[in-house]
Amino acid sequence: MWSGPLSLSGLRSGSLSALTVAVALAGCYAGAPAGDSDSDGASGASGTASMSASASASASASGGSGDSDGDSDGDTDTGGPPALPFEPGPPTLPRLTAAQYNNALRDVLGAPLPTPSLEPDTNPYLFFNIGAASTTVSEVGVQRYEEAAEAISKAVFGDAARREALVGCVPEAADDACAEAFVTTFGRRLMRRPLSAEERGRWLAFAAELADGDPWEGLRMAVAGMLQSPHFLYRVELGEAAPTEDDPTRRRYTGWEIATRLSFLLWNTTPDDQLLDAAEAGLLDTEEGIRVEAERLLEDPRARAAIQAFFAQYLDLGRLDQVERDSELYPLYTPSLAEAMRTEVELLVDDFVHREEADVRGLFTTRRTFVNEDLAKIYGVEAKGASPITFVPVELPEDGPRAGILTLGAFLMMNAHATETSPTLRGKYVRERVLCEEVPAPPGDVDTNIPEPDGEAHTLRERLEQHRADPACAGCHAFIDPPGFLFEHFDSIGNYRDLDNGYPIDASGELDGAPLAGARDLADALADDKRVARCMVTQLYRNTAGRLELPGERPGIKAVEDEFAASGYRYRELLLAFVTSEAFRTVATPEDL
Amino acid sequence: MTFLVRKKRLGRRTFLRGAVGGSAVALGLPLLEAMISARQAQAEDPIGDPIFGLFYWANGTPWHAGHGAEQAVGTDLWTPAQTGPGYAPSELLAPLAAHQVSVATGLEPHTEIPPEPPGQGDGHMRGFMVAMTGDRIRPEGFDHPSHTLTVLRPTMDQYVAKHDDFYGDAPTRFRSLEVGVSGARFHDYGHWNAISYNGPDAQNPPIMDPAQLYAKLFNVPDDLVALGRRARLIDAVHDDAKGLRQRLGAGDRARLDAHLEHLDEIQRRLELTSGTCEMAPAVPGNSGDLVEQTAIVAELLAAALNCDLTRVFSFMLTSPATTHVFGNLGVPDGMHKTCHDGKWESVRKITLFQMQAFAKLLDAMAAYKDPMENSLLDRALVYGVSEYGEGYKHSTKEMPVLLAGGCNGAINRGVHVREPGGNLCKVHVTILRALGIDCPSYGFNGGETTEHLTGILA
Repeated sequence: MWSGPLSLSGLRSGSLSALTVAVALAGCYAGAPAGDSDSDGASGASGTASMSASASASASASGGSGDSDGDSDGDTDTGGPPALPFEPGPPTLPRLTAAQYNNALRDVLGAPLPTPSLEPDTNPYLFFNIGAASTTVSEVGVQRYEEAAEAISKAVFGDAARREALVGCVPEAADDACAEAFVTTFGRRLMRRPLSAEERGRWLAFAAELADGDPWEGLRMAVAGMLQSPHFLYRVELGEAAPTEDDPTRRRYTGWEIATRLSFLLWNTTPDDQLLDAAEAGLLDTEEGIRVEAERLLEDPRARAAIQAFFAQYLDLGRLDQVERDSELYPLYTPSLAEAMRTEVELLVDDFVHREEADVRGLFTTRRTFVNEDLAKIYGVEAKGASPITFVPVELPEDGPRAGILTLGAFLMMNAHATETSPTLRGKYVRERVLCEEVPAPPGDVDTNIPEPDGEAHTLRERLEQHRADPACAGCHAFIDPPGFLFEHFDSIGNYRDLDNGYPIDASGELDGAPLAGARDLADALADDKRVARCMVTQLYRNTAGRLELPGERPGIKAVEDEFAASGYRYRELLLAFVTSEAFRTVATPEDL
Repeated sequence: MTFLVRKKRLGRRTFLRGAVGGSAVALGLPLLEAMISARQAQAEDPIGDPIFGLFYWANGTPWHAGHGAEQAVGTDLWTPAQTGPGYAPSELLAPLAAHQVSVATGLEPHTEIPPEPPGQGDGHMRGFMVAMTGDRIRPEGFDHPSHTLTVLRPTMDQYVAKHDDFYGDAPTRFRSLEVGVSGARFHDYGHWNAISYNGPDAQNPPIMDPAQLYAKLFNVPDDLVALGRRARLIDAVHDDAKGLRQRLGAGDRARLDAHLEHLDEIQRRLELTSGTCEMAPAVPGNSGDLVEQTAIVAELLAAALNCDLTRVFSFMLTSPATTHVFGNLGVPDGMHKTCHDGKWESVRKITLFQMQAFAKLLDAMAAYKDPMENSLLDRALVYGVSEYGEGYKHSTKEMPVLLAGGCNGAINRGVHVREPGGNLCKVHVTILRALGIDCPSYGFNGGETTEHLTGILA
């Protein structure tokens, strides 16, 4: 049985399958909290503490009508107007994220490689892919690509055995048959499509010009140039007119583009040779062919890492990195607590997605979770075998205050301030992250400050209720705060408490008019709320598209959502339904072309 | 504005390009000699080329009665009591007194605030954008949970660095440098983690690590032949991008074009190798103390300015709405929350501390002097600003504006100008005219003005 230490960075880069086997066999595993320089963990909004009156209209329109399944946006399952046709939006041109760049070069050139310091990724709308598709690289960023290309090509070609293994032959000249064979194979791997004869000729000519009397040096320079090419650094996915399609605004992604889309979605890296071969053979032009390859990719450990990266961004876990607490105020706080909370969510995701292949919405209702010693203390559960670095599965008590990840450490701690909780941040997270509803920014001319404690208001809740007496704030806060109040029994590190500021806690609240007694009730309410699954599908779509969905794309997303429901909300089935859908396979002609 | 001395410089790029294709060995020495003589010539100039810097600190100044707070908490510790030259520094400006910093008070943004989506009047958005660009924010995306927002046009540092009137056809090794000190951030994107922009969604993230900055500035390989070949390789990258441009939509084409323009700058730099700094400072350490860390980064920056590696910089002490925890001052929460919690005394201490940090930057620039005793600061204009007047209510009235340095005599030092309700874009006009950049007016979307700050522009 496995019991050795395992680093968290390993856990996030594909070695999770070995881990969960250990969990299954031994009922425990260990993880040493460690820095994680290459994760795709997200950070996001921690916005200001009040909302506008004018937002109340959109708030109620976007979900507050009291419809218990939340299906109140006119997008009804039965009896509604006929479904609108899916209209694909325009393509994006995502730059590879730093993780994708490093992963791709590891796969194409082999490890080890120098780890370049690339321009930091940004995550507007939660996702690094959206930052990569919407922002323009800086001059420093381009310089770093240039320096990385130099360092990486030198590391590979500076080693005689390594360069021969990569090239597969010994070039007599930098543009001889051996060199050409290499540029052909390498170019296809790096650019994710075959190079044209013109491209091959051009790279060979540069190799010859820059060889400086050494064919290897010529090939190294060609590689360094190709690593800087926009065809590698950006994902060029523009589609082509489909033979059967008479709508000129709609295009179908080519097999090569599908291979790239599949592989970056499911592996967060570049396609392997087998996937490129499938593209070349035309297998990715059919739904069935795509499914076969997607199923293969999902069996690979890289899929587990990519799925974890998605969930970390969708759940906004990167904000845990910013959390610090004073252990004088919170005796159960430890410097590794945030990391333990992140690990807990990862283990839960892995459990739902891979090990159990269960209804993934169970994340929001589960009483089964994984704790180390620190988390066991906070949850007040017995966890035999747990240590600071060993996590064990536990069942939270049926009559306890906790069920679902909204009652667990990560959510509770990252949506609180250093010295007090924040019903507003917690309510906002429920609205925005769990239900995908929009909470507008407060108008510039309102006072967003929560009143200081006075004679009447003892608890934070009472102070917030005073704040809501201001009509300018009331509209939005009536939308945000009531679900946030449900968590008031949990302090800024997620520890259970009965008192706030020495006064009894009132953790009652509501969601869209339905009164709830506390966080456990919210878990029950979310269990059959259609917005939860819809939000997950929508975020998956945004992460893949590299932008927010357009109105015309919503029917395509809805079709995927329906298949997700039909599968019993299994995440693997969602991915398969998505990659074989029109929403994944078609694109509009670029605007302003 | 006639103080500018424009020296005829070597056409380094043309020269090197010719040399790399042919006999590369022969090019090192004469180029180096030319460089040295150019530097000597410059040292003999009474005044060098002007320098422009942007210094940014977060969360404004402490509120006071009539400014951000109804409650009469605290007094105005920012605005000096007298106006005009030789004003007596206020408590918060005292750390800068040695450098005779000029200060403008009472200014505020005049740009329009579109009614939808709400929130665009907030200081973090409006105050920041107008201070940096003279324009309002781009509202698209602002109504989303992520509050994604961006500039409409370049920030002042980039406007200057790319203006023909500033560098002409002889830019320095780096057109601009972007550096920073505090890594604490409110969000991980947009202007919450960078203050310099080339345009919408095109930010220049600051270099925060002194070792990385040192390497960029001073660790330049000296193998000219190898660098020339790397420069030539960039032609290959350009060739490879040619077919791609016309297949893209307009937005993505613009993103690709910007990437290719950056490649041109990098190619120019690879060909410029001999224009390096012979008087590199010591390899820097790191400090957990914000003021000490500012001194470390400032020393590298000043050394780079002294070697004429650049003449434009932006310095982000803390990012907008910073969550930086000033534990050294006994403040337990992040600064943004501290402001909203109404912790006036903490905000006073933090603002004073941030001014002490600004003083470290000015100290470093004042310490480098030419034989005529003209310091870098005498040549420079450093625009110090924050995103709003005060952080309790995010008021954009009473924007804190500091103009440090003499700008070759174009700026009157030690002057306090007070214009309650005055247009913040007068600062931009003042800066541009002081730097010798043609500026009939500046400001956009309601912020336009033809006026500069008359007491401050010489």
